[in-house]
Amino acid sequence: MVNITINGKVVRATEGEMLLDVIRREGINIPTLCQHDALEPAGNCRLCMVEITRTEWDGWKKYVTSCLYPVEEGLIVSTHTSELHEIRKTILDLLLANSPHSDVLQKMAEEYGLHKTSYEPNLEGDNCIMCYACTRICEVLGKSAISPVMRGHEKVIAPPFGEEPPDCIGCLACAHICPTNVITWTDENLTRTIWKKKFELIACEKCGKATISRDFAEYLIEKRGLPKEYFNTCDDCKRVELAQKMGALVDKAKEVAL
Amino acid sequence: MTQTDMTKLDKIFNNNPQSPGSLITVLQDIQREFRYLPREALEKTAEILNVPLSKVYSASTFYAVFSLKPRGEKIVRVCKGTACHIKGADIILEQLESGLGIKAGETTKDLKYTIELVNCVGACALAPVMLVNEKYYGNVRCDRVMKLVEKD
Ligand code: FES
Ligand code: FES
Repeated sequence: MVNITINGKVVRATEGEMLLDVIRREGINIPTLCQHDALEPAGNCRLCMVEITRTEWDGWKKYVTSCLYPVEEGLIVSTHTSELHEIRKTILDLLLANSPHSDVLQKMAEEYGLHKTSYEPNLEGDNCIMCYACTRICEVLGKSAISPVMRGHEKVIAPPFGEEPPDCIGCLACAHICPTNVITWTDENLTRTIWKKKFELIACEKCGKATISRDFAEYLIEKRGLPKEYFNTCDDCKRVELAQKMGALVDKAKEVAL
Repeated sequence: MTQTDMTKLDKIFNNNPQSPGSLITVLQDIQREFRYLPREALEKTAEILNVPLSKVYSASTFYAVFSLKPRGEKIVRVCKGTACHIKGADIILEQLESGLGIKAGETTKDLKYTIELVNCVGACALAPVMLVNEKYYGNVRCDRVMKLVEKD
């Protein structure tokens, strides 16, 4: 364990743990976009910036991305100075310039008193902030179906050759993790379309509702060893089934007791 | 890809360790051999090196040395860096484009020439600079452009 100071309060933390996690545990709120517990920190959005110093630094201080900064003994951290306010505001201003239509960014910027970007807005911007959360989660899931393509301002997140991604299993992890909701999909009856690829959705045996894609289910059965029957019913029906089973148990217990 | 192309490709794979770490060197070898990265070669690379196809594609589109479209035998690069720009790179490019009948970034139908733009090749004192394959030409005069390109 190490001792660090956050906004004047001494806090204990595990050495090597990321600063952002400690800050959040203390109930301090700082904005982030690219951080997600299922992902390794990447430091792509730069919003989690905090100020650090140490007594022996003699007043010298620096700004670091807290999601990527492992804590160490004696760290003195400030999370809400006026400089940090300006830094975060500038970052949001720049993000907003490239994605002026993003409601998520607009809302965050509002909190910093920014009603619209002070830069030339890119009206064709597609709201992608290049945080790579989607490609990272796809990799974590063992698929890597999509990736950054091209470089510089031409860079986009896309499947290889801009075609249906052969490795995609229609799990929607990329769409759900995207902080600015750029990745879209449609579910129509029992067909899901994402990245232009079509997937068959499994219908719940009991209620007929669409559940997950067949490819995803097969992948989970193979990789995670889940039983085949698991995917026959939807979550709601599973819950009802469980409740009924438990009810029967209670009845039985009552009978025995009497 | 033809059978001979396949043999060439196999040779490239055999010359490199067949692991994800070889991705860039393999792509460089393919680029050198075929003067571009044929799609089938990329798919094969993903399979042999055990790298997701998306990552192969990502690397192929990230580096400027790689091309997904066939490139000409002679790659003519016109420097559009600051110094060359001031010294008339535009005029040189114009000469080239009208001489070869293609625009920057394109390749002639007979696969002989490709025009590319570069941002400063580090020889600003010689501006304007033009390269034909690996050969540098400095102080290029616009009436000499096509002669230099057709040389050798
Ligand atoms: S959360 Fe730290 S850089 Fe995005
Ligand atoms: S600008 Fe052309 S060589 Fe530097």
